Amino acid sequence: MSAPLLEIDDLTVHFPSAAGPVRAVDGLSLSLARGQTLGVVGESGSGKTVTFLAAMRLLERSRPEIHGRILLDGVDVLTLPAREMREVRGPRIGMIFQDPLSALHPLLRVGDQIAETVRAHRDVGRRDARAQSVAALAQVGIPNADERARQYPHQLSGGMRQRVMIAMALILEPDLLIADEPTTALDTTVEAQILDIIDDLRTRLGIGVVLVSHSLATVADVADTVAVMYAGRVVERGRCEAVFAHPSHPYTWGLLDTVPALGAERSRLVPIPGSPPSLIDPPPGCRFAPRCAYRFDACTRHLPELVERGGGHADACVLPVPGRGARRHRLAPSGEEAAP
Amino acid sequence: MKSRLTALGLGLCVGGAAVLLAACGSSSSSTSSGTRGGTYRVEATDFGFSNNFDPTGEYTTNAWGMYRGLLIRTLVGYKMIAGAAGNQLVPDLATSVPTATDGGLTWTFTLKSGVRYAPPVNRVITSHDIVTAFERIANPALAAQYGFYYTTIAGMDTYASGKAKTISGITTPNNQTVVFHLTTPTPDFLYRLSLPAAGPIPQEVSKCFTTPGGYGRDVVSSGPYMIQGSDKVNIASCSTIQPMAGFDPSSKLIMVRNPNYNPSTDSTSMRTALPNEFAFTINSNQADIFNRIKAGQADDSLNAPPASAVATLVASNQKQLIKTGGADATKYISMNLTQAPFDDIHVRKAVNLIMDKAGLQQANGGPLFGLIATHIVPDTMYNNDSAITGYNPYPSANNAGDLAAAQAQMRQSKYDPKQDGLCDTSACKNVFTIAVNTSQDLNEIPVVQSALAKLGITLNIRQLTPSAASGVVSTVSRNVPLALSQGFAKDYADPSTFMVLFESSSIAPTGNVNASLVGLTPALAQQLGVTIPKDDVIPSVDAQAAACGKIPTGNARTTCYINLDKYLMENVVPWVPYLSLNQVHMISPAVTMWDYDQSSDTTAYSHVAVNPAKQS
Amino acid sequence: MGRYILRRLMWTVVVVIIVTLITFVIFYVLPSGDPALRFAGKEPTAQVLAQVRTDLGLNHSVAVQYLLYLKRLVLGDRYGWPGLGFSYSSGAAIAPQLWQRAQITIQLVLGAAVLWMVIGIPVGVFSALRPRSRFDRASLFVGLVFISTPVFWLGLLMLWLFSSTLGWLQGTGYVAFTTDPVQWAAHMLMPWITLSLAFAAIYARMVRSNMLDTLGEDYIRTARAKGLPERRIVTRHALRASLVPIVTLLAVDIATLVGGTVIVETVFNLQGLGSWVLNGALNQDLPVTLAVTLVATIAVSLLSLVADILYAYMDPRVRPE
Repeated sequence: MSAPLLEIDDLTVHFPSAAGPVRAVDGLSLSLARGQTLGVVGESGSGKTVTFLAAMRLLERSRPEIHGRILLDGVDVLTLPAREMREVRGPRIGMIFQDPLSALHPLLRVGDQIAETVRAHRDVGRRDARAQSVAALAQVGIPNADERARQYPHQLSGGMRQRVMIAMALILEPDLLIADEPTTALDTTVEAQILDIIDDLRTRLGIGVVLVSHSLATVADVADTVAVMYAGRVVERGRCEAVFAHPSHPYTWGLLDTVPALGAERSRLVPIPGSPPSLIDPPPGCRFAPRCAYRFDACTRHLPELVERGGGHADACVLPVPGRGARRHRLAPSGEEAAP
Repeated sequence: MKSRLTALGLGLCVGGAAVLLAACGSSSSSTSSGTRGGTYRVEATDFGFSNNFDPTGEYTTNAWGMYRGLLIRTLVGYKMIAGAAGNQLVPDLATSVPTATDGGLTWTFTLKSGVRYAPPVNRVITSHDIVTAFERIANPALAAQYGFYYTTIAGMDTYASGKAKTISGITTPNNQTVVFHLTTPTPDFLYRLSLPAAGPIPQEVSKCFTTPGGYGRDVVSSGPYMIQGSDKVNIASCSTIQPMAGFDPSSKLIMVRNPNYNPSTDSTSMRTALPNEFAFTINSNQADIFNRIKAGQADDSLNAPPASAVATLVASNQKQLIKTGGADATKYISMNLTQAPFDDIHVRKAVNLIMDKAGLQQANGGPLFGLIATHIVPDTMYNNDSAITGYNPYPSANNAGDLAAAQAQMRQSKYDPKQDGLCDTSACKNVFTIAVNTSQDLNEIPVVQSALAKLGITLNIRQLTPSAASGVVSTVSRNVPLALSQGFAKDYADPSTFMVLFESSSIAPTGNVNASLVGLTPALAQQLGVTIPKDDVIPSVDAQAAACGKIPTGNARTTCYINLDKYLMENVVPWVPYLSLNQVHMISPAVTMWDYDQSSDTTAYSHVAVNPAKQS
Repeated sequence: MGRYILRRLMWTVVVVIIVTLITFVIFYVLPSGDPALRFAGKEPTAQVLAQVRTDLGLNHSVAVQYLLYLKRLVLGDRYGWPGLGFSYSSGAAIAPQLWQRAQITIQLVLGAAVLWMVIGIPVGVFSALRPRSRFDRASLFVGLVFISTPVFWLGLLMLWLFSSTLGWLQGTGYVAFTTDPVQWAAHMLMPWITLSLAFAAIYARMVRSNMLDTLGEDYIRTARAKGLPERRIVTRHALRASLVPIVTLLAVDIATLVGGTVIVETVFNLQGLGSWVLNGALNQDLPVTLAVTLVATIAVSLLSLVADILYAYMDPRVRPE
C-alpha cells in the first residue's frame, strides 16, 4: 500500500485562556489513504473540527499552541511558510463547512465565488474561469447551472448551496477533501444526496475524503475507515464494518445505543449519562471514565493509549479484551441485541 | 462745569466730541494727509440695511454715511467731519444755504450748474429730480420710512392719496430753482432736506421701481462715486434694467469713481474723494474681521471692535489705530409709566439714583465706548452749551449709585409701606423685563439686577435678539414695565429728533417709539387697551415740545430744548440714561487719512485715504 | 422597484407640506412681535407699517398666507419657478440666492464627505486588522479628541495655525471654482478639514467595528480555506460587506448636513445655506427660512431614498422581489 495521503501524528492543539490552556486536541493520531473516506465521529467539543482547521492552518487568529505533525503526502503542513500554505488550500486540500448559507459570501454571486477560487491559483481569464465554474456546478448535479451561477446564495435551497460549496472546494481537483459536518444543517433526504455526490466525486477524482460528523449513522454508509473521538483524543478507530460490527470502546457502544434503529420495535433511546469533561482541567486517566458504566480503578490511574486489536482496529480502553463484548451486552439495560 | 476727560489707565484719550480729542495728540480723530489711489476696504458681519439701500426709505446710519460721503448729494449737507462743526449745515447741491421767507413758510433753493448723474443716466441734475425724490417719499407704495418729516410740505397728502398728479407745495420755476411751500413754519426744515431721501433721483430709472426697496439695487449716483456696474445697466426700458453688479446685499457693495463727477461743483472741505474704490464686504466671522484689519487685509469695519482687540492694540503701542467719534446717541433703560412699580415717580427717581452707571459703562467696554450720560439728549446736540454740560440730576460718587439718596426717594413712594427704603410690595418682585442678547448687552444685565436688588426690586428677565426685543417693547399691548439696553441716535442734529420719543402723537399700538407712554391720555389709553393705574395722571410734555419746535434754530431754540430735557429728567423721569455712545473704529496701518462723519455717525468716507503699498 | 420609488417620492411631497406648515406655525407663534416692524425703520408710522405689511404679504391671515405660499411654490411667482418669493430683509428674489448658496454648501458638504471617507475608511480597516495595537489605540484617542472638540474652536484654531501663523493657506472667504480652481481649493481646504474631522473619527470607529464583526464571519473562513490572498479577502470580501451600512449612513449624514453647516460657514465666511437660514430666522425673514427648510427637507427625503436604494443595490438579500 502506498504512503497515506494524510497522516496526523500526535497532534495537540491548546488554546490560551484566562483559566489555563484549553486542550482541544490532546495527542491525536490519524491517517487516511488516497481514494478512501475517513469518517471522524464525536460530540461537540471532542476536537474533531479543530483538528482539521489546524490541518488547514485556519486557526492562526486564536494563536493556539500546536505540537505534532500533519503530513500531506509526506510534507508537514504545519511548518510550511504562509505563502506556500495558501497554495495548499484550494489546489491540494478543499474544505466544506457545516452551514452553507453563512459559509458563502452573501453579497457575491455563487458563480463568481467559485470562479475566484480558480483565478486565485491559476492564470485563467475571467470568462474561462466563469465557464469552469458553470461546469463545476453542473458536475455536482445543479440543473440550469448557467442561470444558477448568476444567483446569490440566499436564492438557492440548502441542498443546492452545499453542492455549490462542494463544487467550489473541488474545482481545482485537490487531493484531499475535508467535509466538516456537511449535512448537519440539511434535511435527511438532501443529506443522502449530498453524501452520494461526495462519494461519487471521490471515486471519480480519486481523492481522499475526511467526513467529520457527530453522528455514526451519517458516516456508516460512506466511510471506509472510522475514527471515534472523545475529549480531544481518538478512542477507537478501524475499518467501518469492524467498528460497527464489533465496537470495542464503551463510548462507541454508547454512541451506537443512541442511534434509533429503523424497523426495531419501539425501543427507548439510551443517552450516555453525564457530559463531556472540561478541556482545561481534564480528569486524570481515561477521559471517558467519569461517564463510563464499565469503569474500574485502573481507568483513572493512567491515560490509555490506542492499542491495536488486529486488522487496523484499535481502541484506547483498559477493559480486558476477552469478554468485552459480552460485558457490554450483559450490562445493556434493555437486553436487546445491539444494532449491527 | 465742563465734562472732564476720562482716560483709560493706559493713557488713551477718549471724548464725546472731537474738540476734546484734538487735545490728545496721537489718537485725534483726523489723521493728516492722504494721497489719491487704492481701495478703501470695509468689512462687516451684516450691512443691516432697513430698506435694501433704497434711499427713499433707508433709515440706517451705515447707509446714510455711505450715501452722504459717496453717492448722494443733497440740497444742503455737511462737511462730514467730527465734532460740532460736523453737524453744521453747508450748501451741497444748492449754491447757498437759504433762510426762510414768507413767515417761515417758503424755502427757495438755487441749484449749482453742471452737476451730472453718474452712468447710466449721465445727464445734468435739474430741479425736477428733487421733485421726483419727494414724489417717491409721498408715494405710500414705497413706504418711505421717515416720510413723516415731510408732511409739512403743502400738497404731500393730496398727492399721496392720488387726488393730485403733482405736489402743489414744491414748484420748479426753472431747471435750476426749486421752491418749497410749507403748511406751517418748520424751523428745522433744512436739516430734513439734508437726509438722503431728499437727494435727486432720476425719474427715468426710478419709475421702474414701485415697491419698497426695489430701487436699492440700481441707485443712480450724484456723488463722486458710483456703484460698480452702473455703467453696464441698460435703462432703455424698465424690462432691460438689471441690478447693478457691484451690489449684492448678502455679500458686497463696491463703489468706483463716477466719471461724471465734477470736483469744481463740490468742495474738498466736504469731499476729498481720494481712494479709487470703496469695497464693503460681508464677513460673517467677526473676530476674523479685526484680525484682517490688524494684518492690513482690510481697512475698516461697520462693526465695533471687541474690547479685547482694542486692548491688544493699546498694549502693543498702536493706539493710533483706534478711532472714535461721539455718536450723538444715548443708551438708556426705559420705564413704562403705566406699569407698577414704575408708575410712581419716586420709584423712577430712585432707580436713577441707584443705577451703577460706571458698571454699565464697563459692561459696554469701558470709557472708550461711551461717556456716562446724565440726561436725554447728548451734549453735542446742544452745542455743548454750559447750561447742560454739567447737569446731573441724580449724581453719585464715581457714578456707582447712591444708595442713601435712592432709599430716601423710595420712602416717599407708595411701594414702601415699611418705610425701610426698599420696595416691599409684590409689585416689585419679578418685574417683567426685556433685555437684548448681544454680548455687550448681556453684560449689562447683572449690573442692573444687582443695582435694583438693593432697592428690593427683582427682575424677570427675557433675553431677545435686538429686532425681537425692539418688536416686543414697541408693542403697547405687551405692557413691558422695564426695557434694558435701549438706544436712540439722532436723525439730524436738532434735539427735536429725540423729543419725538416723548410726544403723545408718537404713541401707536405697534411700532411705538414712546415706550414710556409719556403724555398718554385716558382716551388714548382706552383705545390702546392699556390701563392707567388708578388716581394716576401721566405727565405730558406735548405743549413744551410744540413750543420749542416753533422757535427758529439758534440759541433760543437750544435753550428751550435744554429746559425741556431738564423737565423730563426731573418731572417725568421716563428713562435712566447711562451712556452717551461713541462710535469706535479700528483701522488698518494702511489708512493714511481718517475722519469721523458727525452728521451720519460713521466713518467719514469723504475724508479717508489709503496707502496701497501697506495693504495686503 | 419603480413603484417603490414613486411611493417614496409621494411621501416626500407630504413631508414637505407638513414641514413647511410647521415652519409657518412656529414663525407666527414665536413671540417676536410683528415681522413688518423689523423692516419698517426706526419710527414707523401706521401708514408705513401698513404698506410694508402689504408688500410682504403679511396683511392676509396666516392660513391664507400659507395657501398662497403653496400655490406660488407649485405654480411659480413673478420671479419664476419655483415661487420662493423674495427675502424680507434684502428685497431680492430668493431663488437665485438659493441656488448660489446651495452650491457653496453642497461643495462644502461633499468635499468634507469625500475627505472623511478617505480618512475614516483606511483608518478603520487598519485598526480592525490590528486590533488593540498601538495604531488602533492611537487612532481611538485622536478620534475622541476630534469628536469632542467644538467645531467653531477647531475652525478658529485652523485659521490661526494655517492662515495667521504659518501663512500656508488663505483666510476666510469663498472663491468660485470657475473663477480660480486653485484658490477655490485653497479656501475650501480648512472648512473641509474642520467639518470632516469629527465625522472621520466616527466613521473610522464604525468601519472598525463592522470589519471586526465581518472578519469573524464564516464566509471569511471559507475564503481563507479557498486559499485566497489576504488582501483580496480584506477588500473584496470583508470590506465590501462592512461598507454596506456605512454607505447608507453616509447618504443620510450628507442630507442632514445640508442645513447644519452654519458654524463652519460663519467661521470661514462662506455664504452658504446654514448662515443664511440662521440670519433669516433671527431677523424674522420668513421666506428665507422657508426656502432653506424646504431644501433641507427635500434633501433628507431624497437622500434617504437614495440610501435605501443603495442598500438594496449593495445587498441582494434586501431587494424587494
